[in-house]
Amino acid sequence: MAQAGGVPCPEAAPGQPCVFKLVLLGSSSVGKSSLALRYVKNDFKSLLPTVGCAFFTKEVGSGAASARLEIWDTAGQEKYHSICHLYFRGANAALLVYDITKKDSFLDAQRWLRDLEREAPPGEVVVMLVGNKTDLGGQREVTFQEGKEFAESHRLLFAEASAKLNHQVTEVFSAVVRELLRREERKSQAQTGDRGLALTGAPAGQARCCAH
Amino acid sequence: MSLKSERRGIHVDQSELLCKKGCGYYGNPAWQGFCSKCWREEYHRARQKQIQEDWELAERLQREEEEAFASSQSSQGAQSLTFSKFEEKKTNEKTRKVTTVKKFFSASSRVASKKENQEAKAPSPSINRQTSIETDRVSKEFIEFLKTFHKTGQEIYKQTKMFLETMHYKRDLSIEEQSECTQDFYQSVTERMQTRGKVPPEKVEKIMDQIEKYIMTRLYKYVFCPETTDDEKKDLAIQKRIRALHWVTPQMLCVPVNEEISEVSDMVVKAITDIIEMDSKRVPRDKLACITKCSKHIFNAIKITKNEPASADDFLPTLIYIVLKGNPPRLQSNIQYITRFCNPSRLMTGEDGYYFTNLCCAVAFIEKLDAQSLNLSQEDFDRYMSGQTSPRKQESENWSPDACLGVKQMYKNLDLLSQLNERQERIMSEAKKLEKDLIEWTDGIAKEVQDIVEKYPLEIKPPNQSLAAIDSENVENDKLPPPLQPQVYAG
Repeated sequence: MAQAGGVPCPEAAPGQPCVFKLVLLGSSSVGKSSLALRYVKNDFKSLLPTVGCAFFTKEVGSGAASARLEIWDTAGQEKYHSICHLYFRGANAALLVYDITKKDSFLDAQRWLRDLEREAPPGEVVVMLVGNKTDLGGQREVTFQEGKEFAESHRLLFAEASAKLNHQVTEVFSAVVRELLRREERKSQAQTGDRGLALTGAPAGQARCCAH
Repeated sequence: MSLKSERRGIHVDQSELLCKKGCGYYGNPAWQGFCSKCWREEYHRARQKQIQEDWELAERLQREEEEAFASSQSSQGAQSLTFSKFEEKKTNEKTRKVTTVKKFFSASSRVASKKENQEAKAPSPSINRQTSIETDRVSKEFIEFLKTFHKTGQEIYKQTKMFLETMHYKRDLSIEEQSECTQDFYQSVTERMQTRGKVPPEKVEKIMDQIEKYIMTRLYKYVFCPETTDDEKKDLAIQKRIRALHWVTPQMLCVPVNEEISEVSDMVVKAITDIIEMDSKRVPRDKLACITKCSKHIFNAIKITKNEPASADDFLPTLIYIVLKGNPPRLQSNIQYITRFCNPSRLMTGEDGYYFTNLCCAVAFIEKLDAQSLNLSQEDFDRYMSGQTSPRKQESENWSPDACLGVKQMYKNLDLLSQLNERQERIMSEAKKLEKDLIEWTDGIAKEVQDIVEKYPLEIKPPNQSLAAIDSENVENDKLPPPLQPQVYAG
């Protein structure tokens, strides 16, 4: 399909809140939707979906650093793996969710990461690894250490959470948003040479020449 | 004109075959009954006249539109008046899409609203009129809308006009280049509004929607499924594919929707209607709205079935099922058109973008779909695909009582036939096996015999030992008691 680099966001005009797109990745029934629902529900300001819970938006940050976070849930079944790269287009962040009581889901999360990195070069997308269902600690198959080590070796953010007990859920999303805003700030501070700025700067130049 | 030539085709009269100008050569209906030479002359004259007219018309239209913009006076009357002119002109127009027309136009620049003239040259008058009426309505709305923005509005109007003009010259370029141009235009207008016009962001969004509506209504005809691309081929391919997959059941896709609930089946029907309706819209955003509406109905259907809000794990399979069931027309063309000409911020983010992405996923999945993704064996999948059998057959026992008797009987017979077929195949294969075994057996025996014959060649030795020597080895012969002698007893 057409333009791949036309990421609309973060170059929004002053005063206009940025839109961050976050995709939820992970096998089915690891609790992707539950995490998002828990996070969004806890905030009375956010728009609750009336029917489905696959797409959410939430206002984050405050003042000059305010932004809108869009959460895109994806289908986690094995058979959709090959087409899910379509969701990655224009994503600013990704949450790799696995179930700590299922080793397979942890391996799947690693596969998602490979897919993601094939679409977007590492470093452009903020990726966080999340081990869900800490409430079922007794049946744990993936240790905290394993998760942490994998995350560190791939430079991912990492946390364990429980959507059921609402433990660490807000913290997970806040960490991602904080990282996004930090990168945004760094990008706007950097003058030249920064890849992020160069990318978003290019279309603007084209536009000017086409308008005449 | 075309009608006339058709009629002529039925009753051929020798005199009618000759050139209308009477030069003695044969004429050709394609040249309006002239011979090639006279037609060229005639055509050239008509063309010159037409160009002249077009110029005048274009200028007048330009004036009218500017007036309409300045005052709130409706331009509808004037617009429809010009149509009688167009009709006239069309009689001169023989072939559609004559490239020379374009050339003439590209040579004569600075006519801002030549667009309308082009619009009028569509092949069918009725379709053309309809299109133009809609175009007019959209233009009027656009002008009305921009009026609320005073000076900024005027500037936007100018820019949009200019863009449409450039797009006209770019009509021969590839669709990707045209798409790029449009995207650049969206971006530059947005930037201008933000930096120069100081328009607040929510208003920018609204204006952008209107601009998109205005320009895409006008460009639609030229950029939707253009002949230069293989969009149409892809449309047909996916259509054929979906048709071949007619046997896929909701169970195979794990669709969490129970169509036996009437409310749910209503939702499914509505969702299908929405996705089919997408093709009838001209503006990318309207097409997106159809997808979103369809998705909402799907969510409702799942919610009613499962009694809890659906997640993406439920949604995507259901969307795939809806697409398979609906087989929406020109699916690929629509997706391509939206991707190329929609404001990118709508595609990458936002609810519409999310559902659109899901639709793209659904289409990609359908294209790649195989036995594994339906939890079927390769054998079954191939049989269903080739139409040899249908998965519904297995459910024949569970047919509802009101199902037609004939249909039931037919399925029973089909069942029987396939069983017979299977048996016959089995017998055939076993017979073949037996034949093979027999051949192997005789061969084997022959070989064995041969081997043994080779191993133990037949040698007949002369008998060199006398029979008496049988116990010659018996060394202790002499130790044996003497043989019993017959004795005679007297008595």
